[in-house]
Amino acid sequence: MLPVLLHISVVMILSPLLLGIIGKTKAFFAGRWGPPLLQPYYDIVKLFRKGNVYSTTTTWIFQAAPIISLATVLISAVLIPMGSFKAPLSFWGDIILFAGLYGLARFFLVIAALDTGSSFEGMGASREATFSCLAEVVLFLDFIILALLSKKFVLSEMLEANILSSWPLFGPVLLLVGASYFLVLLTENSRIPIDDPATHLELTMIHEVMVLDHSGWDLAYILYAGAMKLFVLGGLFLNILIPSHGLSPMAQTISFWGGMIVLAVGLGAVESCMARLRLNRIPQLLIGAFVLALVGLLIILVKGV
Amino acid sequence: MWLELELVLIILLGIIILGNNRLGTMIQLFALQSFILSTTPLLIHPGKHAVVMAVVTIILKVLLMPWLLFWAIRHASIRREVQPLVGYGKTLILGGFLMGAAFLISAKLDLPVQETSNLLVPTAFSLVMIGFLLLVSRFKAITQVIGYLVMENGIFLFAILLLEKTPLLVEMGILLDIFVGTLVMGIIVNHINQEFRSASTLNLTNLRD
Amino acid sequence: MGVLLLVGLPLLMAAMIFLVPHDRQRKIILLLTSSVHLIVTIIFWQRPHHVQFHSFLGFDALSQLILSLISILFFVVSIYLVGYLKEKRRRSNRIFIGCLLCLLAAMTLVTLSRHMGLLWIAIASTTLLSAPLINYFRTPQSIEATWKYLLISSLGIALGLLGTLFLAISATSIKTVFLDDILNNAASLSPAWLKLSVIFLLVGYGTKMGLAPMHTWKPDAYGEAPPPVGALMSGALTGCAFLAVFRVAQICFAAHLQEFVAPIFILLGMLSLAIAAIFILGQKDFNRMLGYSSVEHMGILVLGIGLGGGAVWASLFHTLNNAFAKGLIFLVSGNLYQSFRSKKIENIQGVIHKLPVTGTFLILGFVVITGFPPFGIFYSELLILKEAILAQRYVIVFFYFLFLSVIFFGYARIILEMAFGKPSDSPNKETKKEDFFKVVPLVILTVVLFFSGIFVPDALYSLINEASRLLGGR
Repeated sequence: MLPVLLHISVVMILSPLLLGIIGKTKAFFAGRWGPPLLQPYYDIVKLFRKGNVYSTTTTWIFQAAPIISLATVLISAVLIPMGSFKAPLSFWGDIILFAGLYGLARFFLVIAALDTGSSFEGMGASREATFSCLAEVVLFLDFIILALLSKKFVLSEMLEANILSSWPLFGPVLLLVGASYFLVLLTENSRIPIDDPATHLELTMIHEVMVLDHSGWDLAYILYAGAMKLFVLGGLFLNILIPSHGLSPMAQTISFWGGMIVLAVGLGAVESCMARLRLNRIPQLLIGAFVLALVGLLIILVKGV
Repeated sequence: MWLELELVLIILLGIIILGNNRLGTMIQLFALQSFILSTTPLLIHPGKHAVVMAVVTIILKVLLMPWLLFWAIRHASIRREVQPLVGYGKTLILGGFLMGAAFLISAKLDLPVQETSNLLVPTAFSLVMIGFLLLVSRFKAITQVIGYLVMENGIFLFAILLLEKTPLLVEMGILLDIFVGTLVMGIIVNHINQEFRSASTLNLTNLRD
Repeated sequence: MGVLLLVGLPLLMAAMIFLVPHDRQRKIILLLTSSVHLIVTIIFWQRPHHVQFHSFLGFDALSQLILSLISILFFVVSIYLVGYLKEKRRRSNRIFIGCLLCLLAAMTLVTLSRHMGLLWIAIASTTLLSAPLINYFRTPQSIEATWKYLLISSLGIALGLLGTLFLAISATSIKTVFLDDILNNAASLSPAWLKLSVIFLLVGYGTKMGLAPMHTWKPDAYGEAPPPVGALMSGALTGCAFLAVFRVAQICFAAHLQEFVAPIFILLGMLSLAIAAIFILGQKDFNRMLGYSSVEHMGILVLGIGLGGGAVWASLFHTLNNAFAKGLIFLVSGNLYQSFRSKKIENIQGVIHKLPVTGTFLILGFVVITGFPPFGIFYSELLILKEAILAQRYVIVFFYFLFLSVIFFGYARIILEMAFGKPSDSPNKETKKEDFFKVVPLVILTVVLFFSGIFVPDALYSLINEASRLLGGR
């Protein structure tokens, strides 16, 4: 019980900090001071204090969606190892649960957007659904490659099998998996170059427009869930890249949390240096990610794993 | 391990070139790919022969040829590509399939030459296929030239396998030929642009039966 | 020393071309260089037929044959150019003549190389050097033709390079790609890689030759190039490409891969004949028709190699005849172009009435190229037919006959109409009178073709014999 609570509380406390670091990095690149590091916390607390406004066309789905998205992220958080903390929950085939949880959250957000009856949210929902379709394929391909490499079908064990000695053999493959997973990370969390989290123009919003109608603590849940999703998926990314299993607990902790900070700074840098892609280029980018993962798969097959 | 890392990077760059539509970026990616390619002889057969090959390749493929291509697009004032024959997404998927085919073919062939990595032949074949796909599916003349050069990169990888066996002179001759070929192509692209005010080969469809 | 002259002199003269200021002087240099080249080639006939100068360069019977072909054709074309280039053009002919001379050197190198890598380099150089020649007129169509030629040929050459590399891989036990070493140790070549390399080499050098289905550049390039360049390309360049293909066949023969490679040759040959037959029928452009005619004759050449035995002799003889015949008819078309200012058949009518001498040669060219006796082409085509019948390959015989008849019909319709049709009253009344320089080459070529048909000198006969023996011919 305690490990689960510890895991969940770590995720809940630390994930908005990630958003704060990204914001600070972007401000640094732009030559500004930027909002304070703890700004996302202030935002969430502010939203909790506000009241909700529900449109008369919406049903229970609209109210359930934010709660479901928060719950699913928390459950998925207990599936991955973080630094020296082992994953509290793991069983054979939990990869599918992992992907399915996010699928569930996304499904509910999409139909909540359609629930409002506004075509504006529907537009965002359709865009989001398209991109995540392609991203899921890439995600699964990455999981397949990792499963082939580690010969295990349990998420935490797959990541833990990534020991230092396998890098010389499979370094290139892991790089390819990491590169394609990075693109999935960007897509799932609606960051540049797929979606601009700071835009307010109708034509360019994807995720934002989906959640446009939520207010008060619903919006707080969604914001919080977004931060935690970034945290969890980023943690997964680090576990793929950093072969930390064989090291001492201290080294594992430092590598994980240091890696998270570096990841946040990196995301901020990517956001500052690139512009959002044109909408019809995003599927092509995801197909490119798919081809990358495919090449990794081919390399493994050639090497005869 | 470094060799395999380099080979994977080379394939990666090939895929990025395939999906790109900015001519300047494609030329820079090609230069980067040639740079990584020129260091591979040093990893396979280190020695004086390899050093000479690496240096000459860097001079020709990383410095001179991209400079030439940039000169050509500057004169033609083109920066962007038009839609390829089947669209970018389908081209990428096709490229993925061709790479799969390349890996399959190379798994069937067994190499009598000593090889340091079993990724070398698949990478070489994949590059040849990607270059060929670029050449066939794109409409701007410069992109076709870049496709041809990527193919030549793939063939270069094959040539590295035989580094000690062929005389240096022959390899120099081959590289020189490729360079002169690019030169002539660049000049002709210029003529195309002067004549048609655009460097798209969609204009070159008058001769037919 | 002789080799140095053959290869080095044209290069040296090409360098000088860039310094010489006057057009006329450049033409003189061209003429002189080609004469010297021809004289040296004739001197080489005295030597024994298999000589090695250096590990990379050497002579054998085939080299001698193709080299003589190139030399004579180049000489004749350079005479023609003296008259052809008399027109005032906006651009100087510096690059044109410079490239021509470098092309001569490159083609000589092809015939002399004994190393497969050097062979590739030489053929690649011929491609690159002939591209600016096609673009001489700088019209939109010629730019398009040049681009297609350059791209398709470069693609073919890249595949040829791949084939050469595969050959080297298959020869890892011998560690060289010198032709003689490969031929002597053919048994120790790895068969899988050898077959792969043969396929790539055939596709690559076949593109250069213009075999179907890699022929698509031919009608465009020959259609838009200045006719003297067309003569050189269709006669000499294809001869060089044929030499490369012959070398590949030699390697296959030494490695006992005949059953593998003969069907490929026959298939390529028949396909080329079929495509030529289809496309000559509706042709509206005279030079494009000549391009397809070249495809046809290349098909006949590889068909001969594929059939083997006595057909190899016929193929070699046909190379010679085809080169001169193409030279003749391209130079005729050069005269026509300069007089009628068009390459379209509908614009060139009634040649006999307007330009009597050229018209006569047009008819003679038609007679030669379609294989009428007593000219040489009849003899070589007949020999191939005979070999096919002897080998009881009646399907080949049937289609061969069919395609050649269709092609004959196509030519007849076009050329006879051009020669005897009613001349259009074009406002362009200043018909160029037929220059001495533009007629003499035609005479030379016709005479050569006539003699090759009725009387083959002993020296030539034994040379071709020896060359065909390289492939196990009779």
